[in-house]
Amino acid sequence: MSTDGISIFPRLTRREFLKYCGTLAALIGAGDAAIPDIAAALEKLAKRPAVVWSLFQECLGCSVSLLQSRTPDVANLILRQISLEYHEAVMAAAGDQAHKHFEDMVERGDFYYVVEGAIATKIPEAITMHGISAMEHAKETYKKAKATIAIGSCATFGGIQAAAPNPTGAKGLTAFLREDAGVANPVVVNISRCPGNAEDMLAALTYILVHGKPPELDAVGRPVFLYGHLIHDECERRGHFDAGEFVEVFGDDASRDRWCFYKVGCKGPQTFAPCPKTRWNGHLSWCVHNGPCIGCAEPEFWDKLTPFYERAQNVQVPGIGGISTTRIGMALGAATAVGLGAHLIGQAATGRLGKGGPPEPEEAPRGGRS
Amino acid sequence: MARKKVIIDPITRIEGHLRITCVVEDGKVTEAWNTATLFRGFEIFMKGRDPRDAWHFSSRICGVCPTPHAWNSVRATEEAFGIDKMDDNTRLIRNMMEATQVGYDHILWFYILNAFDFVNVPNALNAKPTLPTLKAVQERVQAVVKSGQLGPFANMYWDHPGYKLPAELDLELTAHYLQSIDAQQAANDAAAFMGGKFPMIMNYAPGGITQLPSLDEILYYQGRMREVKDFIDNVMVPDLLAIAPYYIDLAQTGKGVGNYLTWGLLDEESQDPYDRLFPRGAIFDGKLQVEKVDPDETRMYTKYSWFGDDVGGGKHPLDVGQEPIEFTKLDPLDNEGPVEGKYDWTQAVRYGKDDRPMEVGPLAQMLVAYVSGREDTKKVVDDTLAAIGAAGKPEVLMSDLGRIAARVLKAKVNADNALRWADELLANIGAGKTKVFESRPVPSTGEGKGGWDAPRGALCHYMRIKDGKIDTYAAVPPSNWNLSPRDDKGVRGPVEEALVGQSVIDPDKPLEILRVVHSFDP
Repeated sequence: MSTDGISIFPRLTRREFLKYCGTLAALIGAGDAAIPDIAAALEKLAKRPAVVWSLFQECLGCSVSLLQSRTPDVANLILRQISLEYHEAVMAAAGDQAHKHFEDMVERGDFYYVVEGAIATKIPEAITMHGISAMEHAKETYKKAKATIAIGSCATFGGIQAAAPNPTGAKGLTAFLREDAGVANPVVVNISRCPGNAEDMLAALTYILVHGKPPELDAVGRPVFLYGHLIHDECERRGHFDAGEFVEVFGDDASRDRWCFYKVGCKGPQTFAPCPKTRWNGHLSWCVHNGPCIGCAEPEFWDKLTPFYERAQNVQVPGIGGISTTRIGMALGAATAVGLGAHLIGQAATGRLGKGGPPEPEEAPRGGRS
Repeated sequence: MARKKVIIDPITRIEGHLRITCVVEDGKVTEAWNTATLFRGFEIFMKGRDPRDAWHFSSRICGVCPTPHAWNSVRATEEAFGIDKMDDNTRLIRNMMEATQVGYDHILWFYILNAFDFVNVPNALNAKPTLPTLKAVQERVQAVVKSGQLGPFANMYWDHPGYKLPAELDLELTAHYLQSIDAQQAANDAAAFMGGKFPMIMNYAPGGITQLPSLDEILYYQGRMREVKDFIDNVMVPDLLAIAPYYIDLAQTGKGVGNYLTWGLLDEESQDPYDRLFPRGAIFDGKLQVEKVDPDETRMYTKYSWFGDDVGGGKHPLDVGQEPIEFTKLDPLDNEGPVEGKYDWTQAVRYGKDDRPMEVGPLAQMLVAYVSGREDTKKVVDDTLAAIGAAGKPEVLMSDLGRIAARVLKAKVNADNALRWADELLANIGAGKTKVFESRPVPSTGEGKGGWDAPRGALCHYMRIKDGKIDTYAAVPPSNWNLSPRDDKGVRGPVEEALVGQSVIDPDKPLEILRVVHSFDP
């Protein structure tokens, strides 16, 4: 059966269309029961949702991540599911013609806004397009958008250029809107991580299309359905952590047996993200499959979770006392929301931590290698 | 005399943010300036940090090519830690990771970034395909056009007479554009299974590799890289040869400064940079002979950059930094006069005592490999020259078309060797050699550098450690070389120089300027 009536999905059979809705249902964490609702919502759309994608202080890593998307695949995404109207790295037009199209799109207003990259506020000219600073650009475009998504650690929380001493005054979109653009309560869906994961972004966009409103967000603006779990709790190496089986030095026998990276600096116990579940590159792999987590989903991780190769503080290591990792993780999210250093909360909570993290077990309790 | 100032801002289909300003007089570019319109300040915020963290920071310089940044950074750190040579498995694993990067990047550039300068997508609708697969692609394009939502194809000057391909080729290349998405994913999947994810791999560390790859990971790598090789051999190289005759005029344009530099990439067992798959070296004044080069002969100038003048002054990258920042003004779009004073976030980079501006990139890499006598490069270059009727004349590569061809041919040489690195790794493991990491304490002082090209060209990171922390860090990426502004003596950078003399049919639709700029993969 053809779905010629569904104008936004040209040449998709009904079967293909429902399959696509099923993919979307899984993406947004809903069951198969949600498929009819999703199908109905999408069928109501008169045309493919237009997306305007701004690139500010960025490295294009999030867009390269978008190019790795499998569900849906990129060609289908761009030609059939959304209409990527403005994206400087992808679009054919350049210069005046590109900018004219941008202005036309924003003027029309019927678009979803995706921001990749941070906004320079101390030196606004550290990032300009067509002679217009990101500050001006973001402020005007945000006002006209139907909904706004920030992708990647730069657009969400300022990212690497905001690392101390933040020479350009780089900020994430929400902080910029609130502090510099006079928007009292900005509504931005934050898809953090470095790079941002395109499938997370598409899941958030789908949620917005289906429900007509953003999903429930955590204290730092991330969808709870994606960022509600601590990496450590769902990690494929968790069994080794619980058994006290640790990589002591990269390349050792324990690393070949894929034991836990906690002692060589893994920040999984401090980081809320769906990495172990959704993984990367077509769900093939994820960081901890091959190296310690650096905590890139968390605000200000370049300053607060470095040095990367020092072990995470305040983690209850099997065999010694302390507080649970989940509680520390929650404290971290809350702490960043109110602008406190997470480690302060942790130290206050335990009252027993020295400079170098918790005391180590003298020897690994079970199965430890020497 | 008809004079018009042309400002293209933004230059699209690149990584980064770029403005190109040209003066066009009587249909020819007579003056040109390039302006990077993005600044982040890596060398400022990397100061004072744990040297082991450097590679995570510096990989974020470029999300398109983080892997060579990672190589440069871990090697600079290792040298500063006193590790002069990598263990052989580390060498091979880093080669394998790099080979995925080169494969994906050149596919991405040829199809996703560059193709729209040559392939007229709407014209594909005029083709009369017989193959069902091509018909399906044509129907997809038709559906997009009919919907009125043109997306990435909107508002391009598709009516420009510079588009020369027959409709059948436009359709075929459009189909390959879509196919290239899968091919670049294949390369990145090979990296991700061994490296955690792409972009931003996780398996490097100063000292080596985090863990020995499993047999599964290595075999998966070979499978995916074989797909990449098939795509390059059977789609990308034939596409180059198919479109070249229609754009053969581009072999006459965009010559540029005529100096070519590469630090080399992909180590053989000796780890000698002159023995690499793409060896280190430079060519000066278009003369086909290779000179030895030293990354410490890199000199920085800032008279025309938004930094204090004494930041540059011909100093070594480690003695320069990025402070003080001195932003003056960005030329207003309606200014009809010349660009004056400081105009760029990029510092001008020059080489050696006589301050040569140097072109970097696959053309430089392939010319140096060719003249150095690397057999695999010689063969693909000679075959290609013969196919386009220029047998025995490698100098025709010094042009816009040559840059495009060099990128495609380098992708082939790279893919042919990716499987070899994996075989060598398997042989090492089979022989009981499993070392992948050398543990060293952070020294209180030390200095080191990389010197290993990114896909876009010469890249070198430099690090100085003091009191166990990063005292100074400097990264000189390829765009610093190619997109150098004028130096203190007023000499233009390579892209600026390549633009001067370019003819432009319609200054309001400056397709020819885009082609020159894109040929550098800026």
